[in-house]
Amino acid sequence: MSHSQNKSAALMQGVIIFVYLTVLTILEYYVAVLFDAVPLLIIVAIAKAALVLYYFMHIYKLNETDHDENPDSYAFKTITNRLGLWLFLLSDSFVFAGLLVMRSNLLGLTRPELNQALGLGVTAVLLISSFFMNRGELQMAHGDVKGFMRNTAITFILGLGFLLGVVLLEWQIAAHEGLTADFGNPVTGPVGGVFYMMTGMHAFHVFTGLIFLAVVWNNARKGLYTAEKHWGVEAAAVYWHFVDLVWIFFYPALYLIGTAVAAH
Amino acid sequence: MKKFFTSALFKGLVWQVIGFFIGAGLVTGIRALMGLSTTDTFFFTEPAWVLGAFFGAISFLVGCGVTDDWIKWARGIETHDEHEEHWTGWEKYVNVSLDHKVIGIQYTLISLALIAIGGTFALIFRAELAASQLQFLTTEFQIFGQNGPQLYNTLMSLHGIVMIISILLGVSGIINYAVPLLIGAADMSFPRLNAFSYWIAVPAAITLISSLFLGGFDTGWTGYPPLSARAPVGMQMFFMGVFIAGWSSILGALNVVVTVLRMRAKGMTAMKMPIFVWAGLATSIIAMTATQFIGLAFQLVMFQRLFDMGFFDPSKGGNPVLFQHLFWFYSHPAVYVFILPGLGVISELLPVFVRKPLYGYRWIAMSSIGIALVGFVVWAHHMFTSGMNEYLRVPFMYSTLLVSVPTGVKFFSWVATMWKGKISTPTPMLFVLGAIVVFLMGGLSGPPHATVSTDLHLHDTYFVVGHFHDTIFGGFVFPFFAAIYYWFPKATGRRMNEFWGKVHFWLMTPSFFVVTFGMMYVGLLGMRRRIADYDPALGIDTSQLIITIAAFCIALSVLIFFINFFYSIKNGEKAEGNVWESRSPEWQVPSPMSLHNYPTPIEVVGEPYDYGLKDAPYTRFAPASKGKGKH
Repeated sequence: MSHSQNKSAALMQGVIIFVYLTVLTILEYYVAVLFDAVPLLIIVAIAKAALVLYYFMHIYKLNETDHDENPDSYAFKTITNRLGLWLFLLSDSFVFAGLLVMRSNLLGLTRPELNQALGLGVTAVLLISSFFMNRGELQMAHGDVKGFMRNTAITFILGLGFLLGVVLLEWQIAAHEGLTADFGNPVTGPVGGVFYMMTGMHAFHVFTGLIFLAVVWNNARKGLYTAEKHWGVEAAAVYWHFVDLVWIFFYPALYLIGTAVAAH
Repeated sequence: MKKFFTSALFKGLVWQVIGFFIGAGLVTGIRALMGLSTTDTFFFTEPAWVLGAFFGAISFLVGCGVTDDWIKWARGIETHDEHEEHWTGWEKYVNVSLDHKVIGIQYTLISLALIAIGGTFALIFRAELAASQLQFLTTEFQIFGQNGPQLYNTLMSLHGIVMIISILLGVSGIINYAVPLLIGAADMSFPRLNAFSYWIAVPAAITLISSLFLGGFDTGWTGYPPLSARAPVGMQMFFMGVFIAGWSSILGALNVVVTVLRMRAKGMTAMKMPIFVWAGLATSIIAMTATQFIGLAFQLVMFQRLFDMGFFDPSKGGNPVLFQHLFWFYSHPAVYVFILPGLGVISELLPVFVRKPLYGYRWIAMSSIGIALVGFVVWAHHMFTSGMNEYLRVPFMYSTLLVSVPTGVKFFSWVATMWKGKISTPTPMLFVLGAIVVFLMGGLSGPPHATVSTDLHLHDTYFVVGHFHDTIFGGFVFPFFAAIYYWFPKATGRRMNEFWGKVHFWLMTPSFFVVTFGMMYVGLLGMRRRIADYDPALGIDTSQLIITIAAFCIALSVLIFFINFFYSIKNGEKAEGNVWESRSPEWQVPSPMSLHNYPTPIEVVGEPYDYGLKDAPYTRFAPASKGKGKH
């Protein structure tokens, strides 16, 4: 197989996985609306997570062994760096797990009353950004720096879109509807606080992800990465997909699971 | 003196102050624009203090220079790995070094400093407790915005948390110093991350201790809301200080896991690693994951205070027990972070001083991992009286009793290791033996707490305090001293004074038993935790006095240790060879260790603990011709 056939095959795989993710998201939404079946929603979320973990975050690369025993070689250091990054993500996922524990303890089978179209919208934006991130990383892996920069820029814009969608739109609308951060509203009680805390922590990670993307985009522009040496790119991409992965669980937890509690 | 003012430590401190004022100023300015109050009891408002502390910590880290290389990488500038140390002498320890041995010593020094500070707090409130009724911490006494009893509560709370942080740092110190040496590595996998993890501890400790001057806090080290939601500003400095210190724990632990998985010498399979490495690995698995939960719990209380987000306020639909679940999900595994390294030190040192193989190596290795894993499912044994669902008490009782099984495995192994061995008792070994006995007492006083029916009566009494001081001293403090006496020659090329080492041990150990058995005794007679005063009718005045005197004896022994430690750095008896006749790789090269540890890489050719066997080396230096060694 020629080099460019490899590349287009890889890019096509990215498209196919994105299609699966889209289908699953739509399925998820309608399962929630029509059946309100929590176990089913969890299964769908896990399926989406598995796809992202395997195809976008290429978790199987952790299995790669050293061909070169030399601890100073780039290849050796990359495997070490990859392990470090994944352990960091493992650690960080405990924060989000804790937030989910908090959500189920305080809200149980209730949830905030939120704008569903907006929720689906920002979820779509983030998923699409992951699609372009995957594309960008594949471009870089095949030496197409310009392609990488283009796709990363799109990812950045979409990520920024998500951030603004949540903070500027979703938060304002929710606050306007009476969903307050302080638990002062006697009807909603903890619902508002949990919503802002979860989306806030996630948004903070989106924000740091954007900074990471800007840094690698800039360094790519300076010609610092090649097909063989682009650890920074891989790290930024995997981190970005991780942020998407968290949302795969936070979206149903906030928008789909349980009975909506309106602020008035 | 001038050298100090150009050090990274000083620069960091200056930047911490600058960062603080930027953060506090920012909040104050925004509040002024919003028409809110801009001043309070301690000049700045609470939100200003919080953001100031946060900015201060970040500012310290950037200002001291430990993030310089990363900033360069972000800007696309390459950096080169250091091959020379820039500083000699004490300057090494106040500047940024990427050498794990320097970092390990830096951790150890800050740990010792915090032990001194936390210990001093204890001496003050123990003096008050020596007799019933308030002696000097009376309601008329005023300092730092607190009266006597409030100060008592602050000192008692700070004693707990300062000591806990000192343990986390001490654990990092031993692991950082020893693990790369034990696996034959030149350094940790991520040296800059390692330095960063250490330097976080400085602003964290400063933030934590600043609580004393900002009205203190009265909740004890556990910081439970609703009380912590109402405590003075000092409470926030407690939350922030611990939150920052948590990053050190997490990042440091991550580094250890990667290092152990990636940097072992040739031939060092998992079952041929020195046993301490297993302990370090198990510890790091816990620290790297569970710590995030206390970060979250504290962040939620901080937000409850700052933004009125009533996560734990029942009147607003919050749940105070949720805090306890989140808090203890970390804080119980945390105690295994405290003791697993120390128990690893015991396993590592025993064979050396009994000249026999370690009995049941595989069992001990697996027991460390077993304790780490089971330790994750016992947390609610701290909550039997919290009002959580009663049915939850049963599974947690069973899981808690279960964790004593892998712990017991270690004890049996230690006894079997010592059985018919040629036992010698230089100071490190004294502390190892002391650790075993003390930890046994801690372990035996555990099951009454694990058992719900007895715990309901013991909870919040001094019996608990006796139990955990035994486990902490047995699992950390004694092994920490053992490790320092043991590896001191490796670090400095000199020995600590043997006579004064023995004085330290023989003064500390009996005094310590008096303290902990005394605490268990008064606890059973009705002495509650966390109170400044107690009823004379309990009849425990004399016991309390004896405990206080014994506590001062412990302090004296630690002072002797400090003097011995600092004096011996320059004046100790020279010890440049394999002082303890250890088989461990780091002792096969002269002391002090050179910059990248092993001039020639080592290879494992045998078992680590075959003491007494002829012609059974553990490691050898790699034959010259092989591949690309270090320059």
